[in-house]
Amino acid sequence: MDFEVLWRYAPSLLSGFGVTVMCWGAGGALGVVLGFVIALIYRLRLPPLRWLLRVFIEVFRGTPFLVQLFLIYAGGPYIGLRLEATTAGILGLGLYSSAYFAEIFRGGFAAVPVGQIEAAMCVGMKPIDVLLRVTLPAALIAAVPPIVNMLIVLSKETVVLSIITVPELMYQMQTMAAETFTAFDAIFAMAVFYWLLVESVSRLGRRLESRVTAFMAEAARQA
Amino acid sequence: MSAPMIEIRGLGKSFGAHEGLRGVALVVGRSEVVCLIGPSGSGKSTLLRCINFLESYDAGEVRIAGKLIGYEDAPDGTRRRMGARNLREMRREIGMVFQHFNLWPHMSAMRNVAEPLRRVRGLDAAEAATRALAMLTRVGLADKAEAYPSRLSGGQQQRVAIARALAMQPRLMLFDEPTSALDPELVGEVLEVMKSLAAEGMTMLIVTHEMGFAAHVADRIAFIDDGRIVDEGPPRRVFHESAEPRVRQFLQTYHDRNSF
Amino acid sequence: MHPQVILHSFGYLTQAAGTTLAISLAGIALGFVIGAAVCIARLSRKAWLARIGGVYVSVFRGVPLLVLLLFIYYFLAKFGVDVPALAAAIGGLALSSGAYQSEILRGALAATPPGQAEAAVALGFSGVEVWRRILLPQALRISIPPLINEFILLLKASSLVSVVGIAELTRVSMNIASLTYRPLEAYVGGASFYLAINLGLAALGALTERRLAGERA
Repeated sequence: MDFEVLWRYAPSLLSGFGVTVMCWGAGGALGVVLGFVIALIYRLRLPPLRWLLRVFIEVFRGTPFLVQLFLIYAGGPYIGLRLEATTAGILGLGLYSSAYFAEIFRGGFAAVPVGQIEAAMCVGMKPIDVLLRVTLPAALIAAVPPIVNMLIVLSKETVVLSIITVPELMYQMQTMAAETFTAFDAIFAMAVFYWLLVESVSRLGRRLESRVTAFMAEAARQA
Repeated sequence: MSAPMIEIRGLGKSFGAHEGLRGVALVVGRSEVVCLIGPSGSGKSTLLRCINFLESYDAGEVRIAGKLIGYEDAPDGTRRRMGARNLREMRREIGMVFQHFNLWPHMSAMRNVAEPLRRVRGLDAAEAATRALAMLTRVGLADKAEAYPSRLSGGQQQRVAIARALAMQPRLMLFDEPTSALDPELVGEVLEVMKSLAAEGMTMLIVTHEMGFAAHVADRIAFIDDGRIVDEGPPRRVFHESAEPRVRQFLQTYHDRNSF
Repeated sequence: MHPQVILHSFGYLTQAAGTTLAISLAGIALGFVIGAAVCIARLSRKAWLARIGGVYVSVFRGVPLLVLLLFIYYFLAKFGVDVPALAAAIGGLALSSGAYQSEILRGALAATPPGQAEAAVALGFSGVEVWRRILLPQALRISIPPLINEFILLLKASSLVSVVGIAELTRVSMNIASLTYRPLEAYVGGASFYLAINLGLAALGALTERRLAGERA
């Protein structure tokens, strides 16, 4: 590994990392919010709406992320959607992950023991209160581990963004590799970097998971 | 005089700091039926599982028909753990019936019974099938031979489990709360099979909560509390005239809950 | 919107779909062998073997597939090994999938109720026999639904091998897009093929799960 080359390209690599983190954060946030909204609307039990959402989820879970990106970035202009690569990347990550998050939230709602809801209703709580005080807290607690998991998966998907020329880390790395003929070293460094990143984020995620779950359980108890 | 079927002397077992069994002594003669009763956590199951060495014990000894199980005496006089092959051979002679049946879900009732005959006793497929069918008939389930455990009721599953243990022609049988996991109305069919086994002269050691069954079928009752055998003797004496306060207290709560 | 683009390229897309399926099947099969080996290593009583297994899973789940594919490609190029891109692609998919499959198998083994092994031991089965007759058959049954799911994921991941030039579904869609200047239709076409295959697989998965659940209930 030629460290001189690395040093020269440090600024662009750092900027690339910044773009990676930004895309991951923005895409993830978009996905979680959108997924949550979808899950909520799904609960309204309106058949035509449900069907529409079902199609959305099946399409975004049943097709490769790369193809979705191409559709948005290359195909977008043909339906009036002219986006910059990075924006397209964030939108892509958001839509792609929202389908998964929607299913995660759905699972969270399903995991709430029916007995708890029945107890709340028997005691005379209004439906909106049942939702806010009983269903939602329990559902969110159940959803935290799979959400953390999905966010980790999403962090790995950001490398795909390089294919549509988003200037994230992988893209900068490949530029450096092409300009300095250090392809192997560059990709090796990338592999090691991502491995360490994902491993440490996973461990952090697990710790965060137990903390958040404990916190939310406590909050629910006090509510 | 031949050795008793089961001989337990000074048995001890610790789980870390907690002493599960201490100084347990028990003798079960041939064709005897002994029921172990006592509160939960008293060590009944642990004791039973030490007999076929599913649990290891730390002190004392367990002898099956005179032969030490789990350990063997080395030539230099010390005692060491029994080898795997010897242990397997001894286990073949001991039948065990579990609380949760432990039938293998990917095999039919027939295959559950025949598989040990094939793999452990070395019978060929035809012989094993014949013997298995005979055993299933013995427990009244010949018509369910091809059924899978998921299609059988709890009582039927337990009877298949008994057939599986019985098919090996063991010298004695251990029962670990055989009816505790069953719906009340299915308990009877299992107890009937066990009664008939006793009548045929099978040596049986049964951990159970079924006091009625114990009172009528057992030759002896042993009461365990906190890792020790507190009282032991014929059912009439233990159930009605026990000198031990702990036994009387246990039976009292039982009576209170069960007479209506 | 010019749907006739999709119609005209239907033949190419079908052929490409076949390539995608073939690559994915090869990848999952090889991945199973790797996954089984890694799983056995992780369960080994030899600490060093278990560690190697653990590191394998950590590395091949942590490194993104795209990075892995390019790594294999450049690795082989650097050391002058002339391996066709196809082999590199399948190898990459297999190495990655192997890590996930080993975890699936590990979970399946853990899910088998211990009482069943105990009954076998009490009857006098040897350790090997307990494995062969009781634990392994059940573990395989339990792992089928998650393995089908893994196959669906692998199929989608295979779209990344387009970057090493293999003429699978994504690459062919890209080609159609650049030839016809109609990326929307091209990618909708490609996506539809992926969707059709995945819906079929999902149905298969649901069917298998129901049948297996009935057996174990």
